[in-house]
Amino acid sequence: MADIIEITEKEPAIAFGKEEKKLLTDPINENNPITVQVLGVCSALAVTTLLNKAIVMGIAVMLVTAFSNLFTSLLRNYIPKQIRMIVQLVIIAFLVTVVELFLKAYNYPIWKELSVFIGLIITNCIVMGRLEAFAMANKPWRSFLDGLGNGFGYAVILVIVAFIRELFGKGSLFNYKIIGPTAEYALNTSQIGWLHWYVPNNLMILAPAAMFVLGVLIWLQRTKYKKLVDIS
Amino acid sequence: MGNSSVIKFTLIMTVIVAFVLALLVSGLKPIHNVNESVYNKKGILSAVSEQLGKDVNALSNQEVQDIFANQITVQALNTEGKIVSDDEISSMTNGLAKTAADVDFALEAKKPEGERLLPLYTFKAKDGKDYNIMYVRGKGLWDEIWGYITLQPDWKTIAGEAFDHKGETPGLGAEIKDNKAWFSQFTGRKLYNEKGDFQSLEIVKGGVKQPDYQVDAISGATITGKGVQEMLQRGLKYYDPYIKSKFSNQMESDTVHQMMNDTIK
Amino acid sequence: MGDLLNIFIKSAFIENMALSYFLGMCSFLAVSKSVKTALGLGVAVIFVLGLTIPMNWLIDHYLLGETGLFKLDLTFLRFIIFISTIAALVQLVEMVVEKFSPSLYNSLGIFLPLITVNCAILGASLFMITKEYNFSQSVSFGLGGGFGWALAIVAIAAIREKMSYSNVPAPLRGLGMAFILTGLMGMAFMGLMGIDPAAF
Repeated sequence: MADIIEITEKEPAIAFGKEEKKLLTDPINENNPITVQVLGVCSALAVTTLLNKAIVMGIAVMLVTAFSNLFTSLLRNYIPKQIRMIVQLVIIAFLVTVVELFLKAYNYPIWKELSVFIGLIITNCIVMGRLEAFAMANKPWRSFLDGLGNGFGYAVILVIVAFIRELFGKGSLFNYKIIGPTAEYALNTSQIGWLHWYVPNNLMILAPAAMFVLGVLIWLQRTKYKKLVDIS
Repeated sequence: MGNSSVIKFTLIMTVIVAFVLALLVSGLKPIHNVNESVYNKKGILSAVSEQLGKDVNALSNQEVQDIFANQITVQALNTEGKIVSDDEISSMTNGLAKTAADVDFALEAKKPEGERLLPLYTFKAKDGKDYNIMYVRGKGLWDEIWGYITLQPDWKTIAGEAFDHKGETPGLGAEIKDNKAWFSQFTGRKLYNEKGDFQSLEIVKGGVKQPDYQVDAISGATITGKGVQEMLQRGLKYYDPYIKSKFSNQMESDTVHQMMNDTIK
Repeated sequence: MGDLLNIFIKSAFIENMALSYFLGMCSFLAVSKSVKTALGLGVAVIFVLGLTIPMNWLIDHYLLGETGLFKLDLTFLRFIIFISTIAALVQLVEMVVEKFSPSLYNSLGIFLPLITVNCAILGASLFMITKEYNFSQSVSFGLGGGFGWALAIVAIAAIREKMSYSNVPAPLRGLGMAFILTGLMGMAFMGLMGIDPAAF
């Protein structure tokens, strides 16, 4: 694994140098968990019909990856090898439950809309993948940053996909009408949209569209970064 | 590492995790309960949002509670359209609810027809008029759908409506909740024809021919549309006897009025 | 009986776990390069779903619910208990298969650990709760969901095998194309939406 960087004991526990910055920024583009590592796709598709759903989901995943990486890294020398996987899963499931309880208390409508997909963060391969690949072998602070970075990389893709799907599927952003006719599909009819001739394309809201949008995003990314191209 | 240390680790972890979660749940449970009840109440208020003159989603929890305390009363009906007294409510719900306000009507809708209780909410608008809200529940494409239908004070014309669903497809069936242009078609439609007979609404494809009793379908959501139509036909029928009794009262008071006028002359 | 058949058909075709909800996509995209491996993973998923869904149903009803063993509402432990059950059951299945059928283990074995983090398994467990199924319905739902998932991955793998002879633009090759193919397949499956299984 290229991203496991051994650090010497002399370094302070919490430092923020070049390498730490790389941990944060790498997963946003060249090592993006969704478009490059193909992890955690399931929820990327289901929650991206509306921008605010995608943002809440992105933040939830960021918190879970960051803190599960932190806790696993803190416990890495104590976790018995035989039950490693179950322990990791319990840590993740615990954090997801905490996130769910808070979301249910502070934003009930969004909780209601995300329904089972909050629970599915547990099996979001990004979280599990980072624990195995990074947190089990690195110190807490670096693991935390790595988790934060990967969660953020995930959230960025989620927001981009949701932006495209909501804008062209409903003609709105954050439920505010932007383009298309004002009367139809408008959740807030007092807003006047431009491009009145545009009829919102319902296909964008349906699940397959998320697949197309992601496919095209990967296409664009690989056109720009030639080294990511699949040779097979 | 030996088995004993594995067991020790598992035990400690389980205890810590369970303890923290239990603590959180007991702390947040009251907020969850308030949120849930406000969410359901907002669903009901959406059916009178026009009469209320406010965006229901923008209301705070306190405002919702206040409106419910001051402007809304609820009565329970049985499926024959009779108002059920508090004693009967507690016997019909096995003591779960004591007054009509505590009945879980979503649960009631799952009971066999004869044992069911239906809510009738009355919203007292600022202008002093009473708007009655009826509750219907049915099946969409994937899962349950439900709705609240508000009647004008004349008991014949629809004054407002709100639909919700458990898992319809976003962009298709879910439009019954999201697309105001679609559901506001119901406003102004009639449930009773000139003779005073119950005539529920139809959801039709390709253009409305009888504007009083028909609503245009959502394209691509045929099954959900059929579900809404079936839900309205079956669900509103339960209220029919009660509404009919209101008609005859109205007519009686009209004739009494007439007779009094005649005698004065 | 007809009701159970309905749920099977519905969960296999109409509400296909992979193509309507896009669950289990990580392994779906990673293992769908050849039909043979796809079939192996598919069979493993049917096996595990058929076992874990009823198992989780029993746990949810007799341990976590208010009417369960502890007379307490322990549903907040659902995520932790469900995922632990899945992980434990997968491990158990792996051990049993290894002991009694080494040939099956050789073909299935490598896929089993992958399945724990397959969101189709946890997703189906959570859907089973929101859909309020009873025990026999949950068995049918688990088997149907597994069958549908297996069908989808085998079908995609077959197309991807053929895809290698096509002239796809280089940056779209592999992953990008797999996404678009899955999207097209999902659209095809949407055509089944609205079919009433009771009519069969």
